[in-house]
Amino acid sequence: MPIQLNGINRAEVLQYLGWRGSEIPPEVGAQLDACLAETVQLAAPRMVWRVFDREAVPEGLLLGEDVHALLAESRRCVLLAATLGGGVENAIRRAQVRDMTRALILDCCGSAAIEAVCDAAEQEILAALGEGAFLTDRFSPGYGDLPLSVQPRFLETLDTARRIGLTLTSTGIMTPRKSVTAVLGVAASPQSKRFRGCAYCSMFETCTFRKVGKTCGKIS
Amino acid sequence: MEKYPEIVRLDGAMGTMLQKSGLQPGHCPEALCLTDPDCVAAIHRAYIEAGAQIVYANSFGANRCKLEKTGYTVAEIVPAAIRCARQACGSDIRVALDVGPIGQLLEPYGTLAFEEAYDIYREIVEAGAAAGADLIVFETMTDLYEVKAAVLAAKEHTALPVFVTMTFEENGRTFTGCTVEAMASVLEGLGVDAVGMNCSLGPRELLPLAERLCAVTSLPVIVKANAGLPDPATGEYYITADAFAEAMQRFADLGVAYLGGCCGTTPEFIAGIAEKTKNTPVKARQAERVSRVCTPTNVVTIDGVRVIGERINPTGKKRFQQALRENDFDYILSQAVEQADAGAHILDVNVGLPGIDEPAMMARAVKAIQSVTDLPLQLDSSDAKALEAGLRVVNGKAIVNSVNGEADVLERVLPLVKKYGAAVVGLTMDADGIPPTAEARFAIAERILQAAQRHGIPKEDVFIDCLTLTVSAEQEKAVETLKAMQLVRDRLGLHCVLGVSNISFGLPARATVTAGFLTLAMAHGLDLPIINPNAESAMNAIRVFNVIYNVDKGAEAYIAANARTAAPAAPVSKAEAAHDLPYAIAKGLGADARRLTRALLDEGRSELDIVNGELIPALDAVGARFEKGEIFLPQLINSAGAAQEAFEVIKTSIANRGAALVSKGKLIVATVKGDIHDIGKNIVKTILENYGYTVIDLGRDVPVETVVDTAIREDVRLIGLSALMTTTLGSMKQTIQALRESGHACKIWVGGAVLTPDYAAQMGADFYARDAKESVGIAREVLG
Repeated sequence: MPIQLNGINRAEVLQYLGWRGSEIPPEVGAQLDACLAETVQLAAPRMVWRVFDREAVPEGLLLGEDVHALLAESRRCVLLAATLGGGVENAIRRAQVRDMTRALILDCCGSAAIEAVCDAAEQEILAALGEGAFLTDRFSPGYGDLPLSVQPRFLETLDTARRIGLTLTSTGIMTPRKSVTAVLGVAASPQSKRFRGCAYCSMFETCTFRKVGKTCGKIS
Repeated sequence: MEKYPEIVRLDGAMGTMLQKSGLQPGHCPEALCLTDPDCVAAIHRAYIEAGAQIVYANSFGANRCKLEKTGYTVAEIVPAAIRCARQACGSDIRVALDVGPIGQLLEPYGTLAFEEAYDIYREIVEAGAAAGADLIVFETMTDLYEVKAAVLAAKEHTALPVFVTMTFEENGRTFTGCTVEAMASVLEGLGVDAVGMNCSLGPRELLPLAERLCAVTSLPVIVKANAGLPDPATGEYYITADAFAEAMQRFADLGVAYLGGCCGTTPEFIAGIAEKTKNTPVKARQAERVSRVCTPTNVVTIDGVRVIGERINPTGKKRFQQALRENDFDYILSQAVEQADAGAHILDVNVGLPGIDEPAMMARAVKAIQSVTDLPLQLDSSDAKALEAGLRVVNGKAIVNSVNGEADVLERVLPLVKKYGAAVVGLTMDADGIPPTAEARFAIAERILQAAQRHGIPKEDVFIDCLTLTVSAEQEKAVETLKAMQLVRDRLGLHCVLGVSNISFGLPARATVTAGFLTLAMAHGLDLPIINPNAESAMNAIRVFNVIYNVDKGAEAYIAANARTAAPAAPVSKAEAAHDLPYAIAKGLGADARRLTRALLDEGRSELDIVNGELIPALDAVGARFEKGEIFLPQLINSAGAAQEAFEVIKTSIANRGAALVSKGKLIVATVKGDIHDIGKNIVKTILENYGYTVIDLGRDVPVETVVDTAIREDVRLIGLSALMTTTLGSMKQTIQALRESGHACKIWVGGAVLTPDYAAQMGADFYARDAKESVGIAREVLG
């Protein structure tokens, strides 16, 4: 189903662009603002989610220990998939022909936008679950010891190809590329942010933010 | 397939019924055709008893990609699925081979090649035909390009009728952006037997979309709606069978010929439709016949002047010829995007050049161009093989440019136009050349139209080019072109195409002559001018025409365009206007970089001197600031972009002298097999080119053997590989191993987000580059 993208976090885009606090010339700032607006305009965000009792989650999906630690206080969990659609990707591809900077900035705007879409999705899910339900963090295949290899099963379970146009390449890349899949626990009490730290990220070893002493901004 | 005078009922959901029988989500429903055929047959039987006249076999996902992990093959599942259906039905029920999407996106979104998709479908339809299916249904499709592969496979390998239904959202587009009208245009052209929509929405939401479809196609229309919209939390559908049947009846009023159900529907729903539509004749409808060309996302209706961009053509352009010979697709694509940005509606694509494999080049160019613009294409060649190569891979409804009045040309090209559902340009000339009079050109136009119609090409898909001669050489003939167009428009009712700029050869102030002639020509019937959309005078002639003829209401478009040119986009501030090339590059001022490079050439500086004395030191300075964190990546790339503009001036200057650029050395860059994240690789390429290296860009998703073969064939000693996913690092390792095993002496450098120096070394790479700047250092170390 469609979902609204209300805005993109500019600071997050700057971090993706590797900005380390140098002066941003006005023309680059203007480029960034134009790309932010274009991304909002081109994005056709859609999401699909389903609530499962934990024991009813199809086999082979919640692999590893970390996801079970996440769900420790959750009897139910939500499987969520969201995508920006192909429009942003087309714009990125096209921009690469004439203006690589714009392409790069659009790419980073897309990454920030899909996070914003997931934040909005969480709000909708919470509203649908009603009073007294609390969500854990989003935990995606590739985080911690939840392997990327669960992705095909994840997408099939939510029927994402049919419902939101989200598919996998034979090498496990989600297409459209600006897409996210995640598990969230549904608990009866507020959940701590314990799993949103760098140590749990599959990019821990190689993260370009960590290399310069920063984080990707998605953690506490 | 026999004509049904009455509305035909299709079946309802198979998946919903299988889930009711206990199938778990994520499990292969098609396998049940082998493991529990009675269960599948019982579902078919239930639908037939409810009144379905065509049942869809349980073969939706039976393609080799989806079956791979199940251990079953297409050759096992497809016949079993047809058998289950056949077992359930009497002689009056038809069995459709049901075929869904492959489940992976085609290039350029994903990694699946068009030809591969075609072959996947070929396997299924051959199996279905052999198993005795009565027809083939492609359903739940979202990508029109994938549908084209499927339909071609069905048409070329079976004689069965082909039905297609695609899945739309409420905005009237599929997930990949395909519109209802584009679907109709392309599929009618490809000769499918019925077209429509299924899944995603309930009958109420589909109604306006079906109405749009009925207005634009003369094909029988299919609607298979969901049982309303699903509850997000549970995935359940809630509409009742009665409400569904009530809503489905509305489609009969539109003239829809086939009605059925999709997700959430059961035999009860089909029985409801049967009750409401029994013995109801299909309501006659009159689809509008208008000229349209399209890509999936962009339908261009020829109901006014539409600009065909002429720039993708090597004739008389040394820089373009050089780009074709060197496989420099970046240059060709920049011409495509530039024209799209300038306001072209359609792009002419001509890649004919002596010594070039034109069919292969045409196919490659079409694929590349349609990956960066959504403009419909006009395939321009005198080589029927090149035309077919382009028609096959073009995504949408194209124009073929051209045929003429010669019988053998017509016989060679028109069957291709028909088969691939294109429009065609007919030149009013024949073996005797271009007739001098308007009447004689008109006679040829008439002959071409008749031949096209004989081949089954509808009139609205025939465009006529009355041909422009140079007015300075044959002054008395210009007016004959105008008269001929008027005859074609008024007596044949056809649209006119014309390459306008020929008129002004040999005269001063050519743009003025061209624009003046263009204005006259539009008044005489020209609505498809082939021009350079970057030529402001020609574009303004069209804008003026649209104002005078009351097309551009309130002159809004004219004012918008001319108000814009009155206040040109100034540089950030006056003080910033660059006075020397290093400054222009440091600030990323492309236009200034171009101007200043031209000025340096005019002063007599050599190209090489400008590269080594100006460009590279300027880039080094920018790179140093980047390393220190004084500027960040967008600024580095802006500088690279400005340097690229300077380089383009230098390349053109060298091409015009007929010389070749002195290269600092050749290197390859490639994003490895399976990976499509190529933006980092492209940044590296841009920057290395600026340093004077010849970069062979193999693109993304590059097979191991392509890297090895190219390295050996071109004798390349430095190879850069990128990968962004942990899942594709394996391909990177394989590529490195294969290069080593080939014995070809080369250095390999790798980069990409998930790589580390340690891992790079472990894989056997010689260098690891953290960013584009480090890649320059590596190239200098290896190539000098």
